[in-house]
Amino acid sequence: MVRKKCVAMLLAGGQGSRLGVLTAKIAKPAVPYGGKYRIIDFPLSNCINSGIDTVGILTQYKPLELNDYIGSGKAWDLDRLSGGVHILPPYQGQKGGDWYKGTANAIYQNIEFIERYDPEYVLILSGDHIYKMDYSKMINQHVKTEAACTIAVLEVPFDEASRFGIMNTNPDGSIYEFEEKPKNPKSNLASMGIYVFSWDKLKKYLMQDENNADSSNDFGKNIIPEMLNSGEKLQVYRFADYWKDVGTIDSLWEANLDLLNPRIDLNLSDPNWRIYSRAGQFAPQYISDEAVVENSLITDGCEVYGNLDYSILFENVTVEPGAQVDYSLVMPGAVIKKGAKVRYSIIAENAVVGENAEVGVLPETVSPDEFGISVVGDNINIGAGAKVGPKEMITEDVKEGAEI
Amino acid sequence: MRPSAVSGIIFANSRDEAVGRMTNFRSMASLPFGGRYRIIDFCLSNLVNAGITNVGIITKANYRSLMDHIESGAFWDLDRKRGGVHLLPPFNISGARRYHGYVEALYGAMDFLNRCNSEYIVLCDGCVVANADIASAVDFHINKNADITVVYRTGEKVRKAKNMMAMTIDNDDRLVSVSFPSEISSDELSSLGILIFKRDLLIELVNNAYENGGRNIDVDIIADRVNDLKIYGFRHNGFSAIMTDMKAYTDANMSLLNKDVRTDLFNPKRRIMTKNRDDMPTRYGTRADVKNSFVADGCVIDGEVSGSILFRGVTVKKGAVIKNSIIMQDCIIGENAVLNDVICDKSVTVSNNTMIKGTFDSALYIEKNQEL
Repeated sequence: MVRKKCVAMLLAGGQGSRLGVLTAKIAKPAVPYGGKYRIIDFPLSNCINSGIDTVGILTQYKPLELNDYIGSGKAWDLDRLSGGVHILPPYQGQKGGDWYKGTANAIYQNIEFIERYDPEYVLILSGDHIYKMDYSKMINQHVKTEAACTIAVLEVPFDEASRFGIMNTNPDGSIYEFEEKPKNPKSNLASMGIYVFSWDKLKKYLMQDENNADSSNDFGKNIIPEMLNSGEKLQVYRFADYWKDVGTIDSLWEANLDLLNPRIDLNLSDPNWRIYSRAGQFAPQYISDEAVVENSLITDGCEVYGNLDYSILFENVTVEPGAQVDYSLVMPGAVIKKGAKVRYSIIAENAVVGENAEVGVLPETVSPDEFGISVVGDNINIGAGAKVGPKEMITEDVKEGAEI
Repeated sequence: MRPSAVSGIIFANSRDEAVGRMTNFRSMASLPFGGRYRIIDFCLSNLVNAGITNVGIITKANYRSLMDHIESGAFWDLDRKRGGVHLLPPFNISGARRYHGYVEALYGAMDFLNRCNSEYIVLCDGCVVANADIASAVDFHINKNADITVVYRTGEKVRKAKNMMAMTIDNDDRLVSVSFPSEISSDELSSLGILIFKRDLLIELVNNAYENGGRNIDVDIIADRVNDLKIYGFRHNGFSAIMTDMKAYTDANMSLLNKDVRTDLFNPKRRIMTKNRDDMPTRYGTRADVKNSFVADGCVIDGEVSGSILFRGVTVKKGAVIKNSIIMQDCIIGENAVLNDVICDKSVTVSNNTMIKGTFDSALYIEKNQEL
C-alpha cells in the first residue's frame, strides 16, 4: 500500500435528531443543501482541495442514501487506485462486533484501515458543517508546533460561547483546558470538531480509552481531556472564514439563505476552491413570462411560473403560476401548486404543496414566541387549501382544507 | 439482448460548414446547444439510453474541443472495460488526407467495425438534436429482418436541405423511393440521420462503395440499393432539429422555450446526459428580471433577460438587457449593455453600455473570447 502522509476520517454516523423529519430516512451528512449539494460535499471537497485523497467515511445511522451518494467517490475526484474514499460501517470480527459506541470508538474500530496507509497524521472531520477550509494549512501548523493534537477553533460571540466546546489557551495558542458548554466561558474559542492528530499519539490514547470501561469513547469528553491531563501538547488552529453548524432546523435554514447574502463570501463555484457534488443530469431551469424571481438561487431542472423571493429551489422543483415562495428552501423534486404560499419553510424532497395551500407564515404576522420555520417532510402531500402554521414539522399527509 | 449486440457510430463533423464561423474551432458535434449541452450529447445519450455501450466517434477536423468534452466517457456511463467510447480520428488510408464523405470515413474506421463483434450498427449524424427511441428502432429493425432501417421524421420543413434524404414508404414501412430535393416540405418524410445496419452488410456495402468511388451513404448505398435491399423506415415522432444553417440552430435553441419541446427532449425516462461542471445554482439578484428564458446553472443575473438561452456561468450585470439571444458559457454582459438577437459564443465579454443588435431572421454571431 502506498504510504499517505495524512488520512482523513469523516464521522458520518450521527442521526441528527434535531433535524426531525429531514433525517427520518437519511443520515445528517446526506441532507440536501444549497440547491445541488449535500452537507457531506463540504468536508469531501475540502479534503480533495487540500490535497488529501484518502478518506474513510464512518457510517452507522441510515447509511443507504449516503452510500449511494458517495458511490465510487468519482464526483469528488476520490476514486483512486491507492487511497480514495472508503465507506466504513461497523462490522463483525472473530470475537463478535459492536456498533460504534462513540466518536473515538468509531476510529478505534478502524485502526486497521488507517494503518494500511501508515500515515503520520490523521484528520478527524464531521459531516455537520458548511465551510470552506484548507486543511493543509492546519496540518502545516500542526507539524511546525510539534503538537500531539491540533484543534480548529472559531471565535464566537461571548454570549453564545456557552453553546460550544470552548478551548482555554495560553498566549502561544496551546490549550490548557477544554470546557464543554461552560456556563461562564473564559474564552470564546469554540471547537469546530476538526482535529489533526499525530497518528502514534492518537493510536495510543484510543487503545487506552478502549480499555477504560467508564469512558463514553468520545473525542470531546474523553480523548481530549485525557491528553491534556497527560501533559500532551494540544494546540488551537484559528479559523476566521464562514463556518456554520447545520444541526438544527433554524441553522440549516439560515446556512442556506446565507448563500443569498452578498456580504457573506460563500462562492461554491470558486475555481480555486470548488465544492463538488454528485448532481443529477437535469435540463437547465425555465423561468416563464409570468414568473417573478428575485434574490433567489435556482438549480437545473426547475420550472418556475410563480413568484420567488429570498428562496432556494433545489434540482427539479416546479413552482406553478400564482404560487408565492418567500424565504424558503424547496428541496429536489418538490412541487408548489397554483396559488400556494410557502413562507419561512423547508419543503423536503418530492413533497407537494397543493393548490392555494399555505405553509408557514411571515414573522411579522405572529408573536415572536409563535414564530418559527415550518418543515414539510419528504414525499408529503399538503392538500389543496390546507394551512400549515409556523414552527410545524409535518410528517404525514395533510388533508384538503385542513388547518395545522 | 446482450449489451454488445449493437454498437454505435457517431459522425462528429457532420454539416460542419452549415453553421459558418461557429465551427471554425470546433466540430459540429461539439457545438454548444440548449444551455448546457453540446450536440453530441443527444447522440450519445440516445445510444446509451438504448443500452448501447460500445460507441465509436468518427472525427475529421477540429476535434480537440470534442476530446475535452468526452474525456473518458464517464458522464454518459461510457467508461467501460467492455466497450465504452472510442474516438476514431482520421486514419491514414490513402495518403495523409481527411476523408470525403461517410463511406470513406467508415472505410477508415474498418478496424472498429471489424472488431466490435456486434450484430448491428447504429450510425448517427452528429448534427441532430432529438430524444430518439433507438431501442424501439433496433427492435423494429430486428422484427422486420431489415437490411437497413432509416429513422425518419415528417412535419418539418427544411429550407436548405443539402444532402438531406427524402423518402417514400409503402404500407409495410418499406422504402419505395428516395430523393435529394433542395427543400423539404412539411408533408415529406426525411431521414433523421440515424441508420441501422446489419454489421456484416454494412462492411460489405462500405467496401464495395469505396472501391467504386462512392462517398455518400444515402446517395451511393441507400439510393442505389433501394429496390434490391430490404430498407425500412422507422418514424421518430418527437421533437427534432437538424443543424442545416445558422437559422436552424437559432430556432432549435429557441424552441426550448416551448414546454412541449422541453418535455419531449428532456424525457426523464431517457435523460440527456452531459459533462458536469460543478457550477453552483444560478443566483438571481435584487435587480434581476427574467422572463421566458432557459437558464443553466452557474449564472449570476442582476439584469433583464427575456426570450433567451443562457449557458452555464454567464454573468448579467445590473441594467443589462438581453432579448431573444443565445449567450454561451462564461460570457460577461456588462452594466447597461443591450443585446438583441445575438449569439455570443463562449467567454465573450461585452463592456458596459454597449449595444449589439442582430435581426430576428439573422442573429448576430460574436466569436469566442471576443471583447466588445
